[in-house]
Formats: sequence, C-alpha cells, structure tokens
Amino acid sequence: MTPSWILDILAGVMLLVAAISAGRLVLTRSWAGSARETDIDVAHLLMGIAMAGMLVASLATLPNGVWDGVFAVLTAWFGWRVCRESRGEGVRVLADGHRIPHLVHSAAMLYMFAALNAPAATGSGGGMSGMGASGASMPTLSVPVVAFIFTLWLSVYVVLDLDRLSGPGHAHGSYFAVPALVGAAAGTGSVNVAAASAAPVVTDASRATVPGQTTGGSHPAGGGGSLAAGSPSGSARAVLLSPQLAAGCRIAMGVTMTFMLIIMI
Amino acid sequence: MSDIAVADGEAARRGNTSAVALDSWRPPDTRRVLQLSLAAIWLLDGVLQYQSFMFTKGFGQMLAGTASGNPGVVASPISWDANLVEHHAVLLNTIFATIQLLLGLGIAWRPTLRVALAASIAWSLGVWWFGEGLGEVLNSAASPVNGAPGAVIIYALLAVLLWPSDRHAAMTPFVAARAVGAPVARALWLVLWGSLAYFALMPANRAPQALHDMIGGMASGEPSWLAALENHAASLVAGQGLAASIVLAAALAVIALGVYLPRPGARATVVLAIVVAAVIWVFGEAFGAILAGGATDPNSGLLLILLAAAYWPTRIAVTAPAADQRVGAEEARA
Repeated sequence: MTPSWILDILAGVMLLVAAISAGRLVLTRSWAGSARETDIDVAHLLMGIAMAGMLVASLATLPNGVWDGVFAVLTAWFGWRVCRESRGEGVRVLADGHRIPHLVHSAAMLYMFAALNAPAATGSGGGMSGMGASGASMPTLSVPVVAFIFTLWLSVYVVLDLDRLSGPGHAHGSYFAVPALVGAAAGTGSVNVAAASAAPVVTDASRATVPGQTTGGSHPAGGGGSLAAGSPSGSARAVLLSPQLAAGCRIAMGVTMTFMLIIMI
Repeated sequence: MSDIAVADGEAARRGNTSAVALDSWRPPDTRRVLQLSLAAIWLLDGVLQYQSFMFTKGFGQMLAGTASGNPGVVASPISWDANLVEHHAVLLNTIFATIQLLLGLGIAWRPTLRVALAASIAWSLGVWWFGEGLGEVLNSAASPVNGAPGAVIIYALLAVLLWPSDRHAAMTPFVAARAVGAPVARALWLVLWGSLAYFALMPANRAPQALHDMIGGMASGEPSWLAALENHAASLVAGQGLAASIVLAAALAVIALGVYLPRPGARATVVLAIVVAAVIWVFGEAFGAILAGGATDPNSGLLLILLAAAYWPTRIAVTAPAADQRVGAEEARA
C-alpha cells in the first residue's frame, strides 16, 4: 500500500493550502475591502479541507454527499465564469483563461467524490483510507478513463503554472521580492495590500513598476484597504496575498489531486 | 509608467490581482511547449510511481524480471538492484517517485530547466538499464508494439533534443535541430525509427500469433471498453504475424528515412509517425496500461508522439543565443 505517512504529508500540505486560503479571505475582507478573487480562495479552502479528509480518515469533515453538492456548485460557478471569460477571449480562454484551472480542479473533485467506490475492508489502514472508511484499504474510482483524462489535464496546468511563475514576467523569483517592494514603498506611509500583492511585475530589465507606487501608494479602487507597510506583519500580509502564493497553492493542489486520481484508478 | 503597469492598474481596479501578475506571461515558443509536455509526462511518471504496487515486493520482482535473457554483464546489476528494491521497497520507491516528480517540476520551472534536463538524462539511462533491462533490445524480445527500445530512453533523447541552446545554424528546419543541429537530429531519428523497424522483423515478432498475443495480452485488467478494443484489434491480426510485421516494419522504415525528404515529404513523414505512435500507444500499449493500475510510465507511444512533434518541419530563425530561455526564437512557417 502507499505508505500512510505520504498521505499524511499530503494531507498536511492540503491543510496548509486551506489555511493560507482562509488567511487570504480574512485579510481581504478586513483590509482590502475590494472584490478580489474570493471565489478562488473559497474554492482552495474547500478543496484543501476535502482533500485532507480524503487522504486521512481522521480529517474527514463532511459526508461525501455534501461534498458532492459543494463541488457541483463550485463547478457550475467556475463554468459560468469561464463562459463569461470566453465571450471576450474565445477559445484562447482554454489555455490562458484565469479560471479554467479552477473549473478543472472543481470538476475533478466532483468526479472523485461521485465516482468513489467503497474500499474493500482489509484492516491495513494504508492507502487513501479517508472518505470515512476507517481501517479500509484503498478506494477506487468508477470510469477510470475520466480519472486519466483529469490527470493529464491537471498535469498540464501544473507545468503551465510553474512556467508562468518562473517566466520572463516573473524573472528572478518575484515572489520573494514582494516584501522588499512593500518596504520600499513605506516612504509613502502606507501601501494597499491588493496593490502590493500585485506589485512584482517587471516590465524590462531597467524598470520595475509597483502599482501602489505609480498611484502614489493608494489603490486605484480606493476602498480604504491600506495597512502599514514595512512592518513584518505588513510584509507577511503582502506575501500571503501575493498571486504567486495563490499560484503555488494551485500547483500543490494540482499535484496532490493528480496523485489521488492515479492511486485510486 | 509602462504599458504593463497601466494594464495592471486596470486589472487591479477590477480586483483581479492574480490576473495582474499572470497576465504578463507570454505564450511559450514551440520548444518550450515541448519541454512543458515532457515535464507533464515526467510528472505523470512520478505520480504513477507512488501507486500502491510500487511499494511492495512485487515491484522488486518486476525489476528482476527484466534481467531475463540479458547478458550476464547487464543482468547481474539488474538482479542486485532488484534485490535491493525488494528489501527496501518503501524507502527506495519513495526516492524514485520523488526524483521523477522533481524532474517534471524542475523542467517546468525555468531556472532549473537545464539541471532537470541533465538529471533526467542520467536518471533515464539508469532506469533504462536497471529498470527496463535495456528495453529488451539484447534479448530478442523487443517489439515496437510493446514499448521497445524502452520508453525511458526516449525521455533521455527528448531531453537532449529539447536542450535549451541554439549553438548551430541560424536557421533550423525543426525544433529538434536547435540544440544538436539538423544532421545529428536526423541521425538520431534514423537510428530510433530504424531500430524499431528492425525489431518489428525479429523472429519472435514474426510468429503467426505474436502480434495477436501481444495485443490481446494488454486487455487484461483494463476497463471493458478498452479490453474490447484490444481484443478486437488482436483478432484482426490473428495468424497474420508475418504480414503485420512486414507492414509495420515498412511503415517504420519509411518514417526513419522520411526525415531526409524535402519539407512536404518530411511533414507527411511526421504525420505518419504520429499516427503509428498513436496506434501503438492505444492498441499495443493500452495507454501504457495506466487504466489497469500498476503502470510505471505511460510507455513509449506517447513519447514517440512528442518526439515526432519536435521534428515537425518549420523554419526557425534563432534570434540570439541568450534568448533561448525566453521567447527565444521566432518561427516562420513556410
């Protein structure tokens, strides 16, 4: 069987993703006040909790039927958002669309819960012992070809996300530059979280533009979402709200989901 | 203020902060797309290695089976390695799976691309010997239909051909030629597909029921629709081993030589290669037997398709050596 400690580690990573997403939701509600990507953070939060419960039985929270409903709603929501995106961008949305990976993630979760077959009881306690079947062996998925298709799709999004994060637009690990840029903006007295989180966009070798700086440190949308920059807590918040961290969560989730689909085939 | 910063402001106004950062991403060039495809396959490979079966003694026994029929000098290290894996299955398989997963992630992460590609070559050669018994090429059991000369050696070949450098001509006829040059790339193609044609004609593959048994054997453990597909395909070649081998060998030989043809012929050759590889992957390899569980990789068909894509004739103008990690080349279709 797949060693239980591997499942424990992955469940821990999923709980971390859920915690980060919860933190992002709390921060954006409390300080930014603007309509950020709440749906994505909510999806990550729910997926993290659900996947942790699938991986480790003791972390299971809701009955499978409830999760079915949750991910059906999320899939429908992201499907609708992707349709809206596609009106402007056409089929390009399939490769470039901002929410299509979330649609695939939600659909994969829905499939996993809907297609799950009860495991044969062996008492071994190893391998995907979650889903409320304590002491059972690995469950399997119906229609495994769908799991295979999702696996390929998720793998593609994982590598695309990594490529985007490390590509020319994100040269030299801009994720790590966020706190420094926020600190640099401290002279303005404050910097908006949303602006700071979006800051590390390098346009060419000689210029790096921080939206918060270009607008005099205030967020274009207003909303009173400022916090003290330069302080450790301000930097931590900026990191927590950075799009790179959200992409990192998505990558972790994609890898874990791929793992789960494959070992349940 | 730059244009991008203006665009960022617009996106931020919409409250779309992730889009702000990710919108600056530019679509990768063809070679990068192929590198990312290779990364995705390595990722899949790594995840497959985490399946339950791989953590059992059965995995070590499976490795030991690849020693069969190989010369002693090849077989002895395989047996030693298999014995080691059998006794330390959890530890060693965890390491194997994690390495393969990291190779995929490393190829996708641009700063580690070269390291990951180089490591993938070393790893592939090791697995080819210790995990695949050199793809059975030395024991007369190799067949292009069941994965010869070993899927993992094609990973290594792809890593060489997709290496991120442009040290040769300013104009290259296809992506695979960018790193090693067109003559070397064509020679590698000729050797690979030529060897497949040779394997197809080996006595074990010419036997009347050889192809039938090989394809029919893939049905075991597969979902009903795929098993039916396999059984139907097997029945089509029942008793036709010699004729099927000759047809297959002829097609593979045409593919091997076709890369030297002028552009229209080369394109037709690549299309034929993709079709043959797809047929092998579906009917001969049952998608790498992934749906049956216990597969260690997606097998050779998928990789042959990726390899063929790297030989698709285009006219590529290499703009600058330093640009190979960025959107380094502009491709102008003839």
